Amino acid sequence: MVNIEINGIKLEARDGAMVIEVADEAGIVIPRFCYHKKLSIAANCRMCLVEVEKVAKPLPACATPVTEGMKVFTHSPKALGAQRAVLEFLLINHPLDCPICDQGGECDLQEMAIGFGGDVSRYAEGKRVVTDPDLGALIATDMGRCIHCTRCVRFGQEVAGMWELGGTGRGEHTRIGTYVADTVDSELSANVVDLCPVGALTSKPYRYSGRPWELVGRPGISPHDCVGANLRADIRGKQIMRVLPQEREEINETWLADRDRFAYLGGRSAERITAPMVKRETGWQATDWDSALTFAAEGLKRVLDVHGPSQLGAWVGDTATVEEAYLTQKLMRALGSGNVDHRLRQVDFRDQEQLPAFPYLGMAIADLERLDGALLIGSNIRKEQPLLGQRLRKAALRGGQIAFINPRAYPFNFPVSQQIVAAHNWVTEVAAVARAALALAGEEIPEGLPEAEVGEAHEAIAAALRSGEQRAVLLGNLAAYHPAQTELRAMAALIARSCGAHFGVLAEGGNSAGAWLAGAVPHRGMAAQPTAVMGRDWRSMAHEGVKGLLLLSTEPESDCIEPLRATQALKQADFVVAINAFASDAARDYADVILPPALYLEAAGTLVNCEGRWQSFEGTTPPPGEARPAWKLLRVLGNLLNAIGFEQLSITDVRDELAPALAVGADNQIPWRVPAPPSFEGGIMRLVDYPIYSVDGLVRRSAPLQQTRDAIAGAVYVAGATLTQVDLGGADRVRVMQGEGEALLPVIVDEAIPVGCVYIPAGTTATAALGGGFGVVEMTHA
Amino acid sequence: MKQARGNIDLITPESCAEIDRWISNYPADQKQSAVMAALRILQDQNGGWLSHELMDAIAAYLDMPPIAVYEVATFYSMYRLEPCGRHKINVCTNISCLLCGSEEVVAHLQERLGIKLGETTADGKFTLSEVECLGACVGAPMMQVNRDYHERLTPETIDAILDSLQ
Amino acid sequence: MNSMFRFLKSLFLLELFGGMRVTGRHFWRKKITLHYPEERAPVSPRFRALHAQRRYANGEERCIACKLCEVVCPAMAITIESAQREDGSRRTTRYEIDLTKCIFCGFCEESCPVDSIVETHVYEYHGESRDELLMTKEKLLAVGDKYEAQIAAARAQDAKYR
Repeated sequence: MVNIEINGIKLEARDGAMVIEVADEAGIVIPRFCYHKKLSIAANCRMCLVEVEKVAKPLPACATPVTEGMKVFTHSPKALGAQRAVLEFLLINHPLDCPICDQGGECDLQEMAIGFGGDVSRYAEGKRVVTDPDLGALIATDMGRCIHCTRCVRFGQEVAGMWELGGTGRGEHTRIGTYVADTVDSELSANVVDLCPVGALTSKPYRYSGRPWELVGRPGISPHDCVGANLRADIRGKQIMRVLPQEREEINETWLADRDRFAYLGGRSAERITAPMVKRETGWQATDWDSALTFAAEGLKRVLDVHGPSQLGAWVGDTATVEEAYLTQKLMRALGSGNVDHRLRQVDFRDQEQLPAFPYLGMAIADLERLDGALLIGSNIRKEQPLLGQRLRKAALRGGQIAFINPRAYPFNFPVSQQIVAAHNWVTEVAAVARAALALAGEEIPEGLPEAEVGEAHEAIAAALRSGEQRAVLLGNLAAYHPAQTELRAMAALIARSCGAHFGVLAEGGNSAGAWLAGAVPHRGMAAQPTAVMGRDWRSMAHEGVKGLLLLSTEPESDCIEPLRATQALKQADFVVAINAFASDAARDYADVILPPALYLEAAGTLVNCEGRWQSFEGTTPPPGEARPAWKLLRVLGNLLNAIGFEQLSITDVRDELAPALAVGADNQIPWRVPAPPSFEGGIMRLVDYPIYSVDGLVRRSAPLQQTRDAIAGAVYVAGATLTQVDLGGADRVRVMQGEGEALLPVIVDEAIPVGCVYIPAGTTATAALGGGFGVVEMTHA
Repeated sequence: MKQARGNIDLITPESCAEIDRWISNYPADQKQSAVMAALRILQDQNGGWLSHELMDAIAAYLDMPPIAVYEVATFYSMYRLEPCGRHKINVCTNISCLLCGSEEVVAHLQERLGIKLGETTADGKFTLSEVECLGACVGAPMMQVNRDYHERLTPETIDAILDSLQ
Repeated sequence: MNSMFRFLKSLFLLELFGGMRVTGRHFWRKKITLHYPEERAPVSPRFRALHAQRRYANGEERCIACKLCEVVCPAMAITIESAQREDGSRRTTRYEIDLTKCIFCGFCEESCPVDSIVETHVYEYHGESRDELLMTKEKLLAVGDKYEAQIAAARAQDAKYR
């Protein structure tokens, strides 16, 4: 520690800290543009010049380390003079277009011009003119306003790991841009909008639609991945105008993924309904709540009376809040049915009885960046949980050995020590690492561990998992979609145990953990308590059939891993109640009544993230039209069906009932079990994932997100060699058959896909007619 | 990552060998240190200027993001990003040369060649550009023709220099 | 003594003549009353009455939707919604002034960076319903188009004091 003095105030500072950090901690304001606490120091704006005793010239506070006895003056005439001069230089080329600038009112430069600027410009020459590059659907550019602070450049380089923006040229001719016409495609790209201290980079969807002073910021939680990023919804009147990150060091730091930021625009989709709708003989009719809820309750009652409770089921979307999931399962169980499930993206439920209370990351999110070694099994973490990917990237850049065993190679934006690509033999490859790990630990090989040849790569992974302080084995989303999830999970836990590493699961949905704890699984009640009636998982419901179904915030035609089977089951059911904000064509086809709930940010709720953190939030804006919070709909449905325990008056009453779930501790003990992996012999194997902008109904309807390069179209991605293998070389469209389904899909040749496999994304309309997820497909000419 | 989209085949084997020699001067994990040399080598290979494709090829070859190569190439006036003449004439117009009469030098060159600053003669022989200080203030006014410095310029010496060039 | 004076004053009708003198003086003086509506009082160039939105000479509306008038309005009489127009410029999609709320303080006019929202000298307007007193963008632009000459003249006259 060193002692310094700023403006006569005596302060203690960490060795090597910069003056600006110390001043910030002490609440002393130093103006700045290029300095940002999460980025490297550039010291190129010179706005933070301060006077230091015994130094002839003013020094930049952001790049001046503290020394013992240093005396800093931030408001002396010399410092103020330097700051004023810098500002005058910065304003030379800055246009006077504040009235049309979206940054106007929340602009650092504007504020500092008021604080330090003169009122008359001494610069009579012409201003610099810069053409604005098109950076894609999310970021609007007005580069004439740029002051070359390079925050955006450093963000891309250091945080997003996509060095796409750069400063080309020199001196006054410096331009920030991509140089050649190109879009910025990072999944974290829109953070540069927040970083930009001026209006050079602004949000395209928000462009020209609001002013900061008319917005009211209300906190919320993002439901699109298991991170639970804290955000701020800016509301004008009743409309969400934009979403910004809320600083939360232990979860999302100061960042927000583009998906979290622009998903709210899905709520403006034309498919959104704002009044309950009922299917009658004459077609769909908008109606009032009384008749819609009575209609729904009568329909469910009829199914109950005719077919009994075992023919009644509920599918819960994995973005639904804990309260909603809880009330759904409570309703089902009150009616005598245990058929409730939220794991619509999974197919393998063999080990469900042995699983912990909820999918747990095994550590705090912030600990990810301190990992020295990690093995991720079946994860494209960068696109699936962008903010976790960003943390892991930090670990990798610090020297952490990050390895992947994935069914296909994914491009990562950090150094990956090993990426084993194993499509057909995924289980064996994981088993090989397990064997290597057991050998290193000198442990006995447990019964049933598949035979596997241990190679150098496997040994290297196992060795990396044994060295360093913090190590983890993480099971990703791809493993959850896989029919051998049980085997993968058991072996992942085994590897972690033998290496002394953390074992963690990256849950596939935004509130998977919450849904588990709320009891939205067929075999367990709320807080993982045993349930009286054992229910059926969603897949058995879909395959064996159910007569009555309640859908909560899910669109099975896209959300389910077996979309065809799911829609067929829905069509065969006698009565389907859909609690969903969107009336898609598919929903109009299979549902009998659609009850519009409030979307996220419109209603109060609670989400549980992958570290088991419960985050409650209030609605930020009233839902449009007649839409009502889903928990209220479920509560009234309960009353109409004469179910017991549906007297909650407010959401706090529901939360009170959830108290036991809140008390459930995180635990990740997965007992070893003898695996019996399915085989994928004979035929082309389909690899599957949910592309980043296809994960839920809201994201799928967000127009700007769908225009980005990450919005992957429903197509067959295949290596040229595979095409030749099945005599389809050069075809641009093929007919793909999987299970009972088939679809005509365009072909995109992608040499990154292993030979013998095709990658066909899930969650898109084009692939909704296919029979499943990972599995064997046949391809013929179109 | 947007890397390796450049086509390495654009680099001739001779250039490759020369770039590799530069790479070997640096630690194995810092081969991007050779970017300036690589740009110069490819500029020579391509007749005096660098295209986007060549810069992308360098990015792929040195395993760095293309934008990082563009940043370097656009920063230095020695790299030309558009086709140019066989002989590159760079006139210093910075303070020392300006005081000693670089304006006349520029005027004379423009008149003699019939082109303005930043332009190339119709026969593709000369490209005239203005540069900042080249560090030869002691002999101001000066200009650089290709790699040679010419100092204490007068209209007569300029004519003599231009006449000597093919 | 006093009663004597009062008697003489009333005997000679002095107060009547005094009154007649005032009447007579004003009778021959120049009149200050006006025969409204045939005659009108002159107004200052800074006179503030009915609002208008102006256009540039090429017909382009001036308003750029900066919303400064909306935020400065003490009566909260202005409502603006904005969006990007097809040509990429920032424009209002809705601009309304509620005349029943407006207190004619002129702050909107002062705050406007492009001299778009102005107050004209038109004080003779009426509305039979609230609706008619809600000035929409179309109405405001129509007022502006009609009185542009007068608006421009008033601004030119006042320019040297700004």
